[in-house]
Amino acid sequence: MPRCASLGTVLPRVAGPGLLLVLVLFGVSGPAAAQEHVEYERPVDVAPTEDTIGEGYVTPEVQRPRPRAAAWQIADVVLLAAALGVAAWLAIWRRQRGWLVALTTACLLYFGFYREGCVCPIGSTQNVAVALVDHTYAVPHYVIALFVLPLVAALFFGRVFCAGVCPLGAIQELMVLKPVEVPRRLDKALGWLKWIYLGTALYYAVLPAIERDFVICRFDPFVGLFRFTGAAWLLMVGGAFLVVGIFVGRPYCRWLCPYGALLSAFSRYAWRPFSITPSRELDCGLCQSACPYGAIEERRAVRTSCFACGRCYRSCPVHHAETPESVVPAAELAGRPPEAAP
Amino acid sequence: MSKTHTRREVLGHAARGTALAGLGGLTGLLWLKANATFAWSINAQRCINSRLGAVGVDVCERCSTECVLALSAVRAVNEFKSCGRCYVCPAYFKITSAVGPDGLPTEKVCPRDAIKREAIGWIDPDDPANNFYDYTIDETLCNGCGRCVLECKEPAGLGSIRLEVRHDTCLDCNRCAIAQACPEDAFDRPEPA
Repeated sequence: MPRCASLGTVLPRVAGPGLLLVLVLFGVSGPAAAQEHVEYERPVDVAPTEDTIGEGYVTPEVQRPRPRAAAWQIADVVLLAAALGVAAWLAIWRRQRGWLVALTTACLLYFGFYREGCVCPIGSTQNVAVALVDHTYAVPHYVIALFVLPLVAALFFGRVFCAGVCPLGAIQELMVLKPVEVPRRLDKALGWLKWIYLGTALYYAVLPAIERDFVICRFDPFVGLFRFTGAAWLLMVGGAFLVVGIFVGRPYCRWLCPYGALLSAFSRYAWRPFSITPSRELDCGLCQSACPYGAIEERRAVRTSCFACGRCYRSCPVHHAETPESVVPAAELAGRPPEAAP
Repeated sequence: MSKTHTRREVLGHAARGTALAGLGGLTGLLWLKANATFAWSINAQRCINSRLGAVGVDVCERCSTECVLALSAVRAVNEFKSCGRCYVCPAYFKITSAVGPDGLPTEKVCPRDAIKREAIGWIDPDDPANNFYDYTIDETLCNGCGRCVLECKEPAGLGSIRLEVRHDTCLDCNRCAIAQACPEDAFDRPEPA
């Protein structure tokens, strides 16, 4: 006992008649007084506990990295669904380009630069494929939602995901400055590339785990731009896509995007796709030269390749009409003789 | 009857219905086995920095250098319950560096000075070697380089520090750059239970 040892060292120094008194004092005053002399021996052999450390020490909480915040996943899914809805409403009911550009920019900033491009519906295609073939692999709920929501939207409204939500599309959409027309046959031929890319990506995704590769993510040309970091050659490829995109509208989306392949297949059966109709547009063909994506044929939007950007509406004389009185059915407008205003 | 449907419309409805049903089935199938804990994590038994027996090896700092984030999503974490609270912590002091006037090594292990050392409990005013010390890692400074993890294990330390992925900042990249670079395949996504 340390206390006895310390008493032993004290006692010999106390002289004469005071000895008894001191002994009694020590006895009645108890451990509190004795502790002044306790030699504290620091145990070194084990990890000390709260008891051995003493002085009311409380073991602090481990600074464990915080768990994955479900709030972000829910926010991503909710924002994706909301953006799809808003894009559909703007493109199909409001028929307006201005707000679509605003939505595109907002989604680029949020899904692209703020959330830094992962997790995205395009890449989730591979995870879904792996989860289907590998019984030891599963994807979380929010990834399922990210994968399915744009496809469901495509079944109702066409490629509204491409219109204003996808950050990869958005960064290219904002670069379309001097579009030139791509020969239609070349456009169609290049369009098959996205199916080949999708097949390749799925093939590498469903390989056994040891050989598995996520090709879409590996060669994503824009994610490095969102993160301001990445392999130099991929950043250069991304930059090249953007430079080419000044003249050739959205080259990645049109010819390479594997998810775009799925979306175009689903949008073939869209319930209420983006449309150019004689009853609401002028049916004059001006839109055809305004479309940088070659998605207007015979004055009608091709639902499988239309990105619902709204440039056709901007070029349409009917949509340029300023006052409500002048918004008249196109047929009427075309057939009306020139008349002097009162 | 009020409205007739063309063949084209009927076929369109049928195709859309089929596609919706297919998507619904796919969703259900995936939903049933969905894994909520699907996230990158570090297997401490494999990581060369924390693996027992890996003594005298060079530190592997790929967790800090490879992550696509500016500050890696990996952090060192000190499990206080198994920490020895040493006076000269081998993960805090570079024990091979020159000894200063206070009898302690002059250099620290952490290149970013992210570990705070503080005497705890009953404090001996005369002999600092007689105290316990808490080593607290500052999450905002640590970049998961793993030097402290390498030092705090048998025989010098008790192995209370390990590397963990900070899930709230991890982007969850399919092609995790750290996992690609990890020489021990310690960076992995757990399988569903």
